[in-house]
Amino acid sequence: MIQIMDLPPGLTHYLVVGALLFVLGLVGFLARRNMILMFLNAELMIQGVALNFVAFARHRGNLEGQGFVLFLLAVAACEAAIALALILVLYRTQHSLDVSLWQNLREEGLEPILDEEPLPLSPLEEKSPSLTVAGPGPAQPEETSHV
Amino acid sequence: MFEPAAIALIPLLPALAGALTLLLGPKILKQQSHWPLIIACVGSFLVSLLGIHALTSPTLEIRQIVYQGGTWFATLGSNPVSVGWDFRLDPISAMMVPMVLFLATVIAVFSIGYMKDDPAYPRYFGVFSIFVAAMTLLVLSDNIVLLYAGWEGVGVCSFLLIGFWFQKPSALKAARKAFMVTRIGDVGLLLGILLLWSGCGFTLQIPTLIEKAKLLSDEYLYLAGFLLFIGAMGKSAQFPLHIWLPDAMEGPTPVSALIHAATMVTAGVYLIARFLPLLTMSPDLLLLIAVIGGITAILAALIALTQNDLKRILAYSTMSQLGYMFMALGAGRSDISGHSLVTFAMVAAMFHLFTHAFFKALLFLSAGSVMHSMGHVIDLRRIGGLRTVLPFTHIAFLSGALALAGVLPFSGYWSKDEILVALDSASHGPNRDGVYKILTWLGLITAGLTAFYTFRAYFLAFWGEVKIPVEALSHGQHGHENDHGYASTHHEVNHDPYGSVSDPTKAHESPWIMTLPLLVLVPAALGIGALFGPTHRMMDFLGSAPGFHADHGDHSASKWVAMASQVFGLGGIAVAFLLYVAKPGMAVSIRKMAGSGYNLSLNRFYLDEILTILFVRPLQILGWLIQALDRELWDRLVDAVARIPAWLGDKFRPVQNGLVQFYALAMALGLTIFLVFLAFGDRLFR
Repeated sequence: MIQIMDLPPGLTHYLVVGALLFVLGLVGFLARRNMILMFLNAELMIQGVALNFVAFARHRGNLEGQGFVLFLLAVAACEAAIALALILVLYRTQHSLDVSLWQNLREEGLEPILDEEPLPLSPLEEKSPSLTVAGPGPAQPEETSHV
Repeated sequence: MFEPAAIALIPLLPALAGALTLLLGPKILKQQSHWPLIIACVGSFLVSLLGIHALTSPTLEIRQIVYQGGTWFATLGSNPVSVGWDFRLDPISAMMVPMVLFLATVIAVFSIGYMKDDPAYPRYFGVFSIFVAAMTLLVLSDNIVLLYAGWEGVGVCSFLLIGFWFQKPSALKAARKAFMVTRIGDVGLLLGILLLWSGCGFTLQIPTLIEKAKLLSDEYLYLAGFLLFIGAMGKSAQFPLHIWLPDAMEGPTPVSALIHAATMVTAGVYLIARFLPLLTMSPDLLLLIAVIGGITAILAALIALTQNDLKRILAYSTMSQLGYMFMALGAGRSDISGHSLVTFAMVAAMFHLFTHAFFKALLFLSAGSVMHSMGHVIDLRRIGGLRTVLPFTHIAFLSGALALAGVLPFSGYWSKDEILVALDSASHGPNRDGVYKILTWLGLITAGLTAFYTFRAYFLAFWGEVKIPVEALSHGQHGHENDHGYASTHHEVNHDPYGSVSDPTKAHESPWIMTLPLLVLVPAALGIGALFGPTHRMMDFLGSAPGFHADHGDHSASKWVAMASQVFGLGGIAVAFLLYVAKPGMAVSIRKMAGSGYNLSLNRFYLDEILTILFVRPLQILGWLIQALDRELWDRLVDAVARIPAWLGDKFRPVQNGLVQFYALAMALGLTIFLVFLAFGDRLFR
């Protein structure tokens, strides 16, 4: 450790930071069960990988790694959009962000694994104000001019 | 002028008719399916008559017309097999072919009436056509493999037609039995063909084969000839391979008439007659053929004495007459003056084959007519006095019976006489006279028995008080709406199995389409013997076949057998008349006197049972063992192997628990293992 710290900043430093980011994300992904936090951890892993790419690109003096990172960012943006939409839908059905409530993909005939310490359900939120009942629209002043 | 290629037309026309009927029959031809067969048969018949005309023209040096129609298949190499479409019309085949085609035509016409309203009408005529094609192919082929093809073809058609009403379990069983038993013979024939082929320089042409085989060693010749004879035994129902023929009567009666009386079963006789110049080289073999023929003749006649089923009686009679023919063939050795009897024996056998075909076909068709009118009942205990009810059938059956019994001016007399004369002449040979002497007497006794059982059937069916079974009234000739195949179920419906009514006005003679063929056959059955026998036409014609020499030798020393056979024949008829017409009570008391002998005959000498115990049971046990081994050992092993993946899957299935984080963990662990392997793998697995 000390030896690394003594070195001038180079490839190894970047790689270590990237690996730390990735492992942090991985541990977070495995340990947390709030879907939004899991998603954030996944993003963290992606960033770790992206850092590796950039570090290698600089080390080798070409732009291939940079190109990859651009793609990565685009994919991550799309992923964020889809993932947040999915999480929203799931939340609406169960009123919870707990991922362990979703075990529907298990093998047929297996008992679901019971959560001994479930996340507290969030209180039912108020319903959005509803629109007026559909019916004939309000009377409009008749068009006077026909162009 | 007769073009040799026309010979090929003879089997070709029925084959085309068969293909046409089988392809178009069920959809288009339907109840008109008989036309292709009849047209083809008549056409082939005319061609064969033209062929005979060409064959007898005085300009022909050797009495044969050969046509080689190209190669069917051939192999190269040091032991070549070359099978061509080779046809040969010589006097022997020229006698057989018109006979087959004439009878096929007549029986086909009869079948129009007999098979009317059968749902499988096109199938019947289609297979019938194929049979005619195969039979003419068998007779005309000059190549022994082509002959074998025809031989198997008639076997298959016989199988299909015996099992024609396959809804009946008994018909199915009979068909299978016929096929299996004749198969034993067919294997023998095939082995015989292969032996001859390898022994005679790999030729397959029959005349070349016969010429070259004469140079073979005695043992080789005996073995090859014996194998050929095994084939003939299977096809011609000779003891002990005879058991299929009586069961074959499950088929439609016209089929029995054509295949199991007139043509197919005589294929064995034809084969042996064809190869007789070769077989005479081995006197032991001739003796064997004669003895087997003699045993079959007397055995079948004894069994026929007590049977109650009209068709079975005729079947056993066919067997017995075939035995006669083999006896005649077996007599083809040299007599005491060194004079070869081979031609005389061949002519006697073939002449009897010829006359027998006509009168036995007539008898079977008459039985078919009786069946048709009596609602498919031919149990002699249930019918009687039919001579007023079925006048035409009566005349036909009587003519056939007279010819079969060998009463003096009729067909059977002339041909049976030739056979007995041949046997008696052979008994004056250089050695083994005793056996031939015994065979002669066996033939005479058989002649008496033949006359007796034929007329027993005749008197029981056509004389005495009128007995008509109830089935005749429920579906007589008009009401055939129910399927023939279920005719046997009527026995269950009818509470009294021997129930009969004696109101003759309700039963009818068969329609004209059935009686006409009968009346056509009557003069043929009665007169054909006198036409060809005493005039020596048959001898002159058949004797001119290549390999034979017309034999007008003096057989006057054997003329006593003609008288004797007449005495035996008339005696048999007289006894039958006495027992079944004059004093009907006497038959019962004689039956009681005979006791076990009667039972022996009624149960066919228990030959079926004996053969079952000797051959069928051991094979069944073997089959059972193999099946048990297969099912209990090999199947279980295979099943066990098949269970391994299922077991593994069962163990790993709980991994799929649907928990997202578990999957993620598995991925992470997998990745870790992979990375560890990548980093330290070369150190871990060196």
